[in-house]
Order: sequence, then structure tokens, then C-alpha cells
Amino acid sequence: MTKETKGVESAPISNRSVIFLISTTIFAAAILIVAFLYIRFYLAGSSDEINERSYSRYYAMIAEDHKSSFWQSVYQGALEAAEKNDTYVELFGSNLLYDYSTAELMEMAVSAGVDGIMVYGNGSDEMTELINEASDKGIPVVTIYSDNSSSKRCSYVGISGYNIGREYGRQIISVSNEKRRVSYGSQDHPEEELKITMLVDSKMASYNQNLILSGIQDSMSQNPLSTGYSIKIVTVDNNNPFSVEESVRDVFMDNDVPDVLVCLNELDTTCAYQAVVDYNQVGNVYILGYYDSEKILNAISRNVVFSSLAVDTAQMGAFCVEALDEYKEFGYTSQYFAADLTLIDRNNVSEYLKKEEETDE
Amino acid sequence: MSNRFRNLPLSYKISGIFVLANLFIFIVDISLLFGINSMSVEMEMAYQDNRHLNELTEALDNVQSAMTDYLNSKSTDSLSDYYISEQTYAELVGELTVSITDRAYTRMERNIRNMSEEYLSEVSQTIEAKRGRNVEKYRVHYEDASKLYEYIKSYIRSLNEERFLSNSEKYSALARNFRIFEVFALAVMFIVLLGSAVVITRITRALIYPLQALAKSADEVTVGNLDAELPKSTGNDEIGRLTTAFGKMMVSIREYIEKIRMSMEKERLMQEKELMMETHLKDAQLKYLQAQINPHFLFNTLNAGAQLAMMEGADRTYEYVQTVADFFRYNVKKQDELVSIGEEVDLVDNYIRILNVRFSGDIHYDKQTDERLLKVKMPGMILQPIVENSVNHGIREMGDKGHIFLRVYRDDDRVCISVKDNGKGMTPEDIEKVVGGKWKYEEQKGDSNGIGMDNVIARLRLFDDRDDVIHIYSEGIDQGTEVVINLPYNNA
Repeated sequence: MTKETKGVESAPISNRSVIFLISTTIFAAAILIVAFLYIRFYLAGSSDEINERSYSRYYAMIAEDHKSSFWQSVYQGALEAAEKNDTYVELFGSNLLYDYSTAELMEMAVSAGVDGIMVYGNGSDEMTELINEASDKGIPVVTIYSDNSSSKRCSYVGISGYNIGREYGRQIISVSNEKRRVSYGSQDHPEEELKITMLVDSKMASYNQNLILSGIQDSMSQNPLSTGYSIKIVTVDNNNPFSVEESVRDVFMDNDVPDVLVCLNELDTTCAYQAVVDYNQVGNVYILGYYDSEKILNAISRNVVFSSLAVDTAQMGAFCVEALDEYKEFGYTSQYFAADLTLIDRNNVSEYLKKEEETDE
Repeated sequence: MSNRFRNLPLSYKISGIFVLANLFIFIVDISLLFGINSMSVEMEMAYQDNRHLNELTEALDNVQSAMTDYLNSKSTDSLSDYYISEQTYAELVGELTVSITDRAYTRMERNIRNMSEEYLSEVSQTIEAKRGRNVEKYRVHYEDASKLYEYIKSYIRSLNEERFLSNSEKYSALARNFRIFEVFALAVMFIVLLGSAVVITRITRALIYPLQALAKSADEVTVGNLDAELPKSTGNDEIGRLTTAFGKMMVSIREYIEKIRMSMEKERLMQEKELMMETHLKDAQLKYLQAQINPHFLFNTLNAGAQLAMMEGADRTYEYVQTVADFFRYNVKKQDELVSIGEEVDLVDNYIRILNVRFSGDIHYDKQTDERLLKVKMPGMILQPIVENSVNHGIREMGDKGHIFLRVYRDDDRVCISVKDNGKGMTPEDIEKVVGGKWKYEEQKGDSNGIGMDNVIARLRLFDDRDDVIHIYSEGIDQGTEVVINLPYNNA
């Protein structure tokens, strides 16, 4: 009894300390939560500025089509190479609401006063003039993938059309071997001339076309075909959007469907691949494609596209940056950088697909 | 601190608690309000960039239109317009960043800045050429400027879009945060409410606790438990003082009660002593009286008298003394025992004989008894007092005409004993009084053995456990009286 009452009597004192403890805890917790939320909220508001990295140099890359994965890949290569040198490369025009021509973008880049320009030289006089203008203003220009050789550009980074042509020539020969093997023994299929069609951009300088063509011819002449061959050049209209697809389909509308279709860029390849499937010409028309996008790789693995030439795009971008950096530093640089070419056919396509998957992940 | 708090007056304590609780809630509310305020400011600022860009566009348009105006009209107004707008635009452009970052909008700002600078120089060259009337030159510059104007506008629009997108994201993030904050604020306020409610209740309970303890003790005291536990004083406030006062009061009440109890005890002891003394005194008196009247001594004396009378040949004297001795022996012996009716009748016989000697045979006495009933038991000393009454109140003054008639008979299952005289008679009121036991026996009458009618009636009633044990009949004054008692028969 006494023990109990003792406990009750001492209760208010311990209660009071408990109360003080509770109230202090609640108060502290409330303040802490408020402070925490406030800081969190404040950080969320200003996180953009915190992650920002600034650069001392600014190069502009003016692509033929900044949305294509080919150019994206080139750009990524350039960006990564430039970042090491405290330089930022912008795929010029990709942030703008409207699509501008390379010439207009060139004008903008010049007036924006960038530190260097890498541009898809389409060989036109207008572009040559703009390149010269930029160069006069002290902005070094590197042409990429396609050259304006007569301009004051400090360097050209690309692939040699002649080499491409030689590679295509070799592929054409293996196509003809393949064809012969398939038709071997069937008497109703007499050997006839191999019909080759090459799709060419309307904007592409004839100079470049000729280089490729002569490359093909050279390699063909080294291994002359028993059947002989004919090369037809089809100009693909890429002045309007969506016109490429139409032009490629026109090839198949013709009665005279080619045996080999040589495509010189990514879009042509994709369109040709789709057309072959749609017109049920798989196995009749051998597509020699260009570039290693996922679509094209899949097409190769399904035997719709015979082979494709892949440029080391990242290397191309890196070369551009290297050329500009060199020029800025020393006032001169190598006139020509050649990017590596790789052939992708069904023997090594799985490697590329694997690589693709890895990068996707 | 705790001690100082304890010693505060109760009103200070209570108001202190409420003020503190309110202050606490106020602080929390203020901090919440501060949070909400800063958030709303941030939300207001979300589209600040877009407003700036719109201003920039407007300024750019002004420059362009002023230039076009001037080229059209060459008016001084348009020239001054141009200067003003050019100034404004240059200022706005000057605020744009020059840094190159991996954020698209900073680079766009930088590009806009550089392009604007070139544009402004083109414009000023156009104006210069116009002034110099160099038509060819100003046309070229105008075209360049216009092209740049378009580019800049497009750039600003794109940047605006870019900014708008990121700001919208930011804004929705802010709005989301705001919602979260709202919920949080509600939760905090709820917690604070709960917390302060708990704190206030607990503190109040702690404050009220001594009062409750006091009330409990007071209740116990009210019920009568003066030894109830006294609450300890918990502080120097009103309750503390009340508790102390209550404690002191209880202690003094206890002391007072103890004192009263002691004095009562003393008084009781004294009374006891007194009573003892009285008892002893009575005892002594009784012993004295007993010593005074030794009946054996009396009987022996009377027997000696009887023997003497016999020796002297006085037979009647002998008989008389013998009768008196028997009468008194019976008186001494049989007072509290059951006796037979026969013995009672013999006593009456003896009594009449004695009276007749005293009053020289004045009383005529007859009896008629059923022999079978004489063995029936009855309380002693019943009949003699009744007969004595009849003699004393009925026939005393009648000389030799007085007559007593005793009869014992059976009536159904009861034995009746009737004592009838032919004396003065009784009024019904007197009969009522006697039967009701209200007739007071007058003491110190020389001829009585000291037993009154009331005693007789009371004993009969006790013996038989019923009220109608005696009946008195009288026809009226001088018509005589009959007293009949009835007894149960089956007690032999």
C-alpha cells in the first residue's frame, strides 16, 4: 500500500519531465521536418544550376540531318572528344523550333560567334562562300563526311569515296558469286548481266559520286565477272521531306528490277530495305547498305540486306574536334582525316547487334 | 527551474501552459507560412525567364520597326525611336549570359547575345549608310540585318519554348511540392495539435493531481476514516498551501479527538467505580436484611410456641400457631415455584383460618373442589392474594355476614378456580382497571403479604402465554364479586 502511494506521489514529477521531453522532441522534430522540407524544396528548385558544367570553348556541328542516328552518333563522338578539352560541341539547330538549311545554320553559327564549325559540306558554291566568310572572321571550319574542297576549310574529315567504292565493288562480286551458287543447276536460269543500281543524293557533289563509282569499277575490273555487269545511277530526290522514300520505291515500280542496290546513306538503306520487303523481292534484290543502325543490323541478320558499310562515326566526330583544336592551337592541321570503314555482313552482324544491345542498356 | 515553476501561483502556471502551447503552435504556423510563402514566390518566379524573353522580343521588334521606319521615311522621330529602342535592346542583350555550358538555354542565350551584337552593328551600319545616302550599301546591310533579325527571333522563340518547357516542368514540380507541403503542413499542424493537447492534458493533470489527492483524502475523511493518508505538499502554490493546511487540520483534529477520547475514558472509569460501590452497598444491605429475617428462626420460634401451647393443653392456640407457621413456610418456600392447586387451596384454608382467629370467625368460607384437579400445576402464591383481595376490599366491613366461596372445576380442557364473595362488588371501570393491570397496588397495608393483583395477573399470563387467564364478574355495588382464573389442564 505504502509502496503504491509512493509511486503515485512521485508520478507527477516524472510526468513533468516526460512532458518536457515529449514537447521538446515534438518541437525539434517539427522544426527539423520543416527545415528538411524547405532545404529539399530549395534544392529541387535550383538543382539545374548545380549540375551545370561550363566550358571555355564552343564548337558548332552542322549536320545534314541532325535527327538521323548517323549524325547523332558522329555528334556523340565529337562531344565526348571535345569534353576532354573543356570544349562543348553543339549539334547546331537541334534546339531550334524550325528546321534550317545547312547554309542558314552556317550563317547563324558565324553570327553567333562560335569558336569553330564542323559542317556537312555539300559541295555547293553557297556553302563554299559561307565557309570562306567564316574563315575570314577567324572561325575555323572543318567539313565533315562531304567536302567543299575548293573552300577555305581547314580540314576535311570523312571517308574516301574511292575506298567506299572499292568495298562496294568487292561486295558486288560476292553477290554475283552468291547468285551463281543459288541458281546453279537450274537450267531455266541462264546467266545474264548483273544489273547494279546506285542510289545517289541529289545534293551530293558529282565529284564524290565519281570517286565511289571509280572505286567500284576498279575493284570490279580486278575480278572481272563472267556475266558482265551494268551500273545505273538513280538520283534520289532529297530536297523535300519524305521524297526519298518515294524515289526509292520508284526503283521497284520499274519492270527492270536491279540485282544489286547500292545505298550511300542510312535513310536510303532503310527505305530500300522496307521496299524490298513490301515488293516481295527478298532474295532477288541484294541491298548493299550503309551505316549500322539497329534497323539495318536486324535486316542483315534476317538476310534482307546483304551487307552494310559502317563508318566509325564516333571516330569521325573525334577527328573533327581534333582538327579544330589543332588548328586553333597551331594555325594549321592535316587537310584530310579518314575515318575507318567496316563491313558488316551476316558473318559479323551478331557482334554489332550485341554491341547495340549493350549501348541500349 | 522545476522548483521555481512549482512555486508559481496556480493561475500563472495554467496561463503559462496555455501561452506556451499557443506560442508553440504560433511558431509552427509561422514556419509553415514561411515555407508556403517562399514556395509561392518561387512559383511566381517560374516563368520569369519567359517574361524576360518576351521583353527581349519586343525590344528587338522595336529596333527592327524603327530601322524600317527610318529607311522608309528618314524621319527624325523614327531615328530617335531607333536610338531609344536600340539602347533598350542593347541593355537587355547585355543581361544575357556569355558562358558556355552543357545547358542548351545558356548557349542559346549566348548565341542570341552574339547575334544581337552583330545585328545591332548591322543596323547601325544600315542607318549610317542611309544617312550617307549610300543606297547600295544600306540595302546590303538592311538585308543582312533582316536576316539576322529573323534568325534572332527564331532563336528567341526556340529559347522561349525551351525555357517554357523546362519552366513548366519546374512549375509542375513546384506545384507538386506545394501539394506535398500542404499535406505536410496539415500533418504538422495535426501533430502539433495532438502534441499540445497531450502536453496540456498531462501538465494540467500534473497540476491538478495534488488537488485530486487532496479531494480523495477529504472524501475518506468524510466517510469517517480519520486515519486517511495525507497527501504530501507538492509546491508552494494554492494547492500546495491547501494541502499543507488540510494536513495540519487533520493532524489537529486527530489530536483533539484523541484528547476527547481520553477524557471520556476517564469518565467511564469513574462511573464504573461508582456503580461498583452502589452494587456493593446493595449487596451489604441485602445481607443485612437477610441476616435480620431468618425464616427458619421464625418457624422454629413459631414451632416452639405451638409445642408450648400443646404442653399447656391449649389446643386451639397450638393449632393456630401451627397454621401460621405453615402459612409463612409456604410463603417463603413456594414463591417462585410451580405448585399444585391442592397446595394453593390448603394455603387459602390456612389463611382463612388465621383470619378467622384474628377476626373471631367472622368470615364464612366454603369450598367445592374436584379432587381430580388438585394435582394440576400452577404458579404459587396466586389464590391467596385473590382471597386476600376479596376479604380486604369485599367483605371486611360486613362483620359476620361475609362469605367466601371457593370452587375448583373443569371447563372443557381448562381448569377453573373461582373465588366468589358477597361483598361490596365492583364497578365495570374498576374491573377494567384491575384486569388491564392498571390498578396500583397500595403498599404498606398491614394485612397484606405484599403481593398485588397486578403481580398475580402478570404471572398467570406469563405462565399460560395468553391474556384471558382471569375474569372478574360483579353485578354492581353490594352485589359481590367473582374472580375466575383458568389454567390449562394438561400440564399435570
